[in-house]
Amino acid sequence: MKVAYYSPLPPSRSGVADYSELLLPELSKRVDVAVARHGRLRRFPSADVALYHIGNDPEAHGWIAKALAARPGVVALHEFVLHHLVAGLTLAHGDSRGYLDAMERGHGLAGRLLAFGVVEGRIPPLWETRPEAFPLAGDVLAAATGLIVHSDYVGSRVREAGFDGPVWRIPHPAWPLPDTKSVQVEGSPVIGCFGHLNESKRIPQLLAAFARLRADHPEARLLLVGSLAARLSGMDVPDGVIREDYVAEERLWSLMAACNAVVSLRSPTMGETSGTAIRALTLGKPLVVSDVGWFGELPDDVAIRVPVDEREVDRLAAALERLAADEQARDAMGAAARELVEREHSLPHVAELYASALEEAAGGMAVREVLLDDIARAAAEVAIEAADPEAGEISARVNEVGLGG
Amino acid sequence: MRIAVCRPQVPFSRGGAEIFTDELVRQLCARGHEAEIVSVPFKWYPGQRVLTQAFLWRLLDLSEADGRTIDLVVATKFPSYCIRHPNKVVWLLHQFRQAYELDRTDLGQFSESAEDRATRRRVQRLDRTALGEARKLFATSRNVADRLQRSTGLDAEVLPHPPQELAYRTDAYEPFVFSVGRLDRAKRIDLLLEAAAKQGIDVVVSGEGPDRERLERLGNGHVRFTGRVSEAELADLYARCRAVFYAPVDEDFGMVPFEAFLAEKPVVTTTDAGGPLDVVRDRKTGRVVEPTVDAVAGALAIGEEDARAWGRAGKALAEQVTWGSAIDRLLQ
Repeated sequence: MKVAYYSPLPPSRSGVADYSELLLPELSKRVDVAVARHGRLRRFPSADVALYHIGNDPEAHGWIAKALAARPGVVALHEFVLHHLVAGLTLAHGDSRGYLDAMERGHGLAGRLLAFGVVEGRIPPLWETRPEAFPLAGDVLAAATGLIVHSDYVGSRVREAGFDGPVWRIPHPAWPLPDTKSVQVEGSPVIGCFGHLNESKRIPQLLAAFARLRADHPEARLLLVGSLAARLSGMDVPDGVIREDYVAEERLWSLMAACNAVVSLRSPTMGETSGTAIRALTLGKPLVVSDVGWFGELPDDVAIRVPVDEREVDRLAAALERLAADEQARDAMGAAARELVEREHSLPHVAELYASALEEAAGGMAVREVLLDDIARAAAEVAIEAADPEAGEISARVNEVGLGG
Repeated sequence: MRIAVCRPQVPFSRGGAEIFTDELVRQLCARGHEAEIVSVPFKWYPGQRVLTQAFLWRLLDLSEADGRTIDLVVATKFPSYCIRHPNKVVWLLHQFRQAYELDRTDLGQFSESAEDRATRRRVQRLDRTALGEARKLFATSRNVADRLQRSTGLDAEVLPHPPQELAYRTDAYEPFVFSVGRLDRAKRIDLLLEAAAKQGIDVVVSGEGPDRERLERLGNGHVRFTGRVSEAELADLYARCRAVFYAPVDEDFGMVPFEAFLAEKPVVTTTDAGGPLDVVRDRKTGRVVEPTVDAVAGALAIGEEDARAWGRAGKALAEQVTWGSAIDRLLQ
């Protein structure tokens, strides 16, 4: 069975490019994969099913969204909020009408008026201020014949949005543990925060909580690693914070290995997963996360979940204090993290789930039709008609064992 | 207790599963239960037919019979465990192996077409649902339990089933190796025949199956094919042979090793045989060697003294597996 595979790939710096680079070799052991290349869309790879990796970054995913619109297929939805993608596909190309139409399809006349305000420059861009309130996932969902999601949160959101096709929840795969040494960091405990550091990563809140931790643990260190968003560049940084800008993969692992715990906060969530959090779990690091979306679904024994509310900083400080003070708890969470990765996120397991979803997507409907034809013919031969109670009973049994969907 | 023991039936074919379920019913009845076989013919081809056939089980209503409640159903192998019952216990002999470890092997059934691939996935999904709703899951060997865990994430307790009742005895250690079972490629009788020819050892092969003609062509003057034998003849062959060969590919369990042991005969098997490795230990209760003609040829050359010692050790193991303890666990 052949799969046409649409995804950003390295050297793109997108997280989905890393994801696909990790997944593709293992998936190719299970299904025949034809990788589609950006810029060669006039010739779609011939295949039984197409898989489109869709995220919010128009540069990485714009061409894939266009391919999806031209040929429906299975979508791996890496984020639910796609406002930035839609804006990139429309406004960035001077297509104001396209943006207005998309907002109207998603949010009615009020949406169109808001979009008009954005186009006219009367209100700030919604993709920067309130994208979570205007996700604009509808066009992608309409073209998807099935969805692969990474969290129950996104699974629920797509159902709420009216998607009624098959949805497969497939965990984010874990990277193989690299053979890199931990860097030496003076001080203890060492807390790490990695990735593009913007407001949604709750950096001001983290710094406030860390400052409180330092009061009782003056040797504590916070590794703040990643490019800092411009709007955060002027903030006060407490003592004990060690800053590094964007680092290469090997250095990232070495720095993370030096941490006693990793913080991965997020709000608002766009329905994304976090490659950083997955790496931390792989290394057996205790996690502190926001209690939202995918992050909120992490089990208690691997992550302390912090609600995003007025007491966020208090709870965050308490979580850091608990991890700083209790080495046994850190060890237990680390062991549970490694077990979770082995059980849920191992690459072969994830690739098998992908293969299963794609095989069902490609041939499932034909199989269903043959099965139902067989049953219907047998029923008709003994004079059971569609409106008879017996037909209802048969239908219930079919659905009960998952043969009807 | 009124107990329905569920098994699929391939018409005109009888093997270990039929022997096992018949005996289970007999043993349940002997303990004062009302037990009966419930069977549906099974045909697993062509194409998607396997699902239609499996679905037949779902339409059966075994909640009661003739106005009286059926207290328990014991399902055994695919697709009988698709049965619907509030008190369903599965004593799993095997899943539909073509959808799992036999896929993309010579013994597989599903092609690379999108329809075949999807059919295989539907079988897996059906398994997860039907086995997942069982009140209790037992597997006949560690191999079967491990496969179930890998394929569905479901845990089963290992509950080996006792062998059929035969007049087991030990008459002699005559210089021939015995093989019994359905003659299909998965049983790998061809490996035995080639190895025996190389070593100049006599072989007796009992059983019927689709591979018989090919195997007979492979045989030479050293091989005797008996076809299906009576229980008395089977007991006699066990009683007289030097050793028993049993090396299917990744087998679920099979009753042959315990039967051989009860006749105090060692078992020759291979490292990839699966279930038999639960009880066959190299140079303790038989031989466990690589699945190559040379290795098996070497393993078949068992001296009478070793055969006697290993056979006795096997008997001690087999005697621990009784119907009494198995049924106690099954009905808990």
